[in-house]
Amino acid sequence: MRLIVIPKLARALLLLAFAVAVLVTASCANPEWQGWSGITYYEGSLFLGSMDGKVLAINPDSRKDNLPFPGTGEWAFPFPTLGAARPVCGPTCASPAPIANVYATPLVAGQLVYVATCSGENGRILAINRSAPGYAEGTPMRSKGEWVYPGGVESIGAIVGSPVLYDGTLYFGSSNGKVYALDAMYGEKRWVFDTGGKIWTSPAIGNDVLYVSNYRHKLYALSVRDGTLLWEKEFPASVSSSPVIAGDRLFFGTFDCYLYALDAASGDVKWKFKGGNWFWATPVVQGGAVYAACLDNKVYALKADTPIERGEALWEFTCDSPVIAAPVLVGDWLVVSSKSGKVYVLRVETGSLEKMVAIGAQIMAPLCAVDNTVYVHARDRCIYAIDVERGEVVWKFSLVVK
Amino acid sequence: MAELWNTIILEPILNSLIALCSVFGGNFGLAIIVFTVIVRVALLPLTIRQTRSTKVMQELQPKLQELQKKYAKDQQKLQQEMVKLYREAGVNPLGCLWPLLIQLPIWIALYQSIMQALAATPENLLNLSQHLYSWDLVVRAVPLNERFLWLQLSKPDPNLILALLVGATMWVQQKMVTPPAADPRQQSVNNMTLLMMPLMFALFTLSFPSGLALYWVVSNVVGVVIQYFVGGGWGYLARPSSGAKVPPTHGQPQAKPVSKMVGKETEQSKVLTKAAGSKKGGPFRR
Repeated sequence: MRLIVIPKLARALLLLAFAVAVLVTASCANPEWQGWSGITYYEGSLFLGSMDGKVLAINPDSRKDNLPFPGTGEWAFPFPTLGAARPVCGPTCASPAPIANVYATPLVAGQLVYVATCSGENGRILAINRSAPGYAEGTPMRSKGEWVYPGGVESIGAIVGSPVLYDGTLYFGSSNGKVYALDAMYGEKRWVFDTGGKIWTSPAIGNDVLYVSNYRHKLYALSVRDGTLLWEKEFPASVSSSPVIAGDRLFFGTFDCYLYALDAASGDVKWKFKGGNWFWATPVVQGGAVYAACLDNKVYALKADTPIERGEALWEFTCDSPVIAAPVLVGDWLVVSSKSGKVYVLRVETGSLEKMVAIGAQIMAPLCAVDNTVYVHARDRCIYAIDVERGEVVWKFSLVVK
Repeated sequence: MAELWNTIILEPILNSLIALCSVFGGNFGLAIIVFTVIVRVALLPLTIRQTRSTKVMQELQPKLQELQKKYAKDQQKLQQEMVKLYREAGVNPLGCLWPLLIQLPIWIALYQSIMQALAATPENLLNLSQHLYSWDLVVRAVPLNERFLWLQLSKPDPNLILALLVGATMWVQQKMVTPPAADPRQQSVNNMTLLMMPLMFALFTLSFPSGLALYWVVSNVVGVVIQYFVGGGWGYLARPSSGAKVPPTHGQPQAKPVSKMVGKETEQSKVLTKAAGSKKGGPFRR
């Protein structure tokens, strides 16, 4: 009965406090690891960014034999964090020490590994010596050719899309809306182009033209030489996937669930195809066909050079959950992974299922194919090596290393 | 359960919010403001009912205290007398609680919607794709532009402006409905809660996304406006809410001697009875 005489205000306040507790708990109870760096294979080593702020070089042979890490040619380099606040979801989970994440797939050229980082709203590009990182207390070792952009304590907007190397220059877009062109050897700025809208996709380069999209519904074609605007095109919705060039055409998805084929020279729309959700993953083009993974759980094979409507696709295959990771081609097979952790091996001509492997962990990072092996960087912070011919996991390696 | 929550509550709110954003030229801050006003207006009947019920309950407080003193040693008799008092006044003591309970899921869903719609990380953006309707207004609006005035809506306000606004508007809203208490201890508790809640929310504002804080400010302001018109003025804000003896003010909620009220319906209880559509002398009327 005592409850009855408690003033209404106190009860209301109790409820409010309860509501706030629910909100905080709901949003922060299970903070997930962030980042989905793809894997790059270069001269016998795998390079990737982990979800806890490290760049790793992994020797597949050592992992196959289950040798202690680091084995021959292996290393784990914790890159310096930036002093930016992480995305905050409430007082209980606001971390005072931000972790830098990697969404971009590392790029390897010569002796350097290029890694794009993302820490809250800030980002940097690091060039690391691929044999053995020489960074000392967060400072690159010039004698090993290492550099960081921007230098010192400065940063630019978070870098989510992967950098692209073309003719000795590194190109990438940033969340601050700018496209950067840096000298790949020394990290010096060549030019910057401001699109005025957040860039979370990777650029694509072909015939000295750089194509990049932002989250203000626009796609830009820039000269790789000096960043001069060649043309720009506005779409009803923003571009969701990174573009890919094949021949004279540009393919990409948009947030209104379309996959577009554009004339790369003029920007004219050649055809568009409606999916059931966003085309998030970068499409794969080979042999006159576009293989586009969609968040509607499907993979579509479309004819690249003729106008087609929905239903006239070459084939489509339905997975058990959305397809976030970019698929890869391995010989006559298309390897596709679903978010739930299933890896499907499909015949490219027909889309028929050849093999299926369930790794039991979410997959969001792009797949990496080397001969008959596909490497998967899964959300359980492990790398899986899958033999697509046999349809089985050959080895698994946890990235939780000290 | 989570599926049901998403389908029935979260997704309608999320998609409406994004569609509004599209209508306002991609201005998500404006969409939050308008959406909050719409939600508060939609819940107006509940709020009015709650406010009026609260007023009658406040009027009963002196009589309740009298009863508590009188039957301090006989809890059963006290309960009977209190039930009788409530029945005669035509109120249900828990009647002011359920409108709050109905609003609670909406607040939670609105919070989740703001967080999801702003998609501060690529993971959040991907998650958003599973909750969107295929309306053109919605799919063409994402990803949303999180800039509004000086704010970045997915991040806390780097200045103290929003925190001060949240604290001040919440204090005003509470002050309008906090009656003075005759018991000094109760008055002390009242004063404490009057300060603590705004202070707590102001502190939350420093670490929560400013989009949510914007919702709090607008919701508080709408609450003050509703309270002003439904409660008949500035309520206890216009006069001190401390001290046992408070001069009566025309049109303000106040602690009247209940002896004058019990046995005959006050204007408030008449309104309440009419609004509830219940019969006099029945069980608890809401």
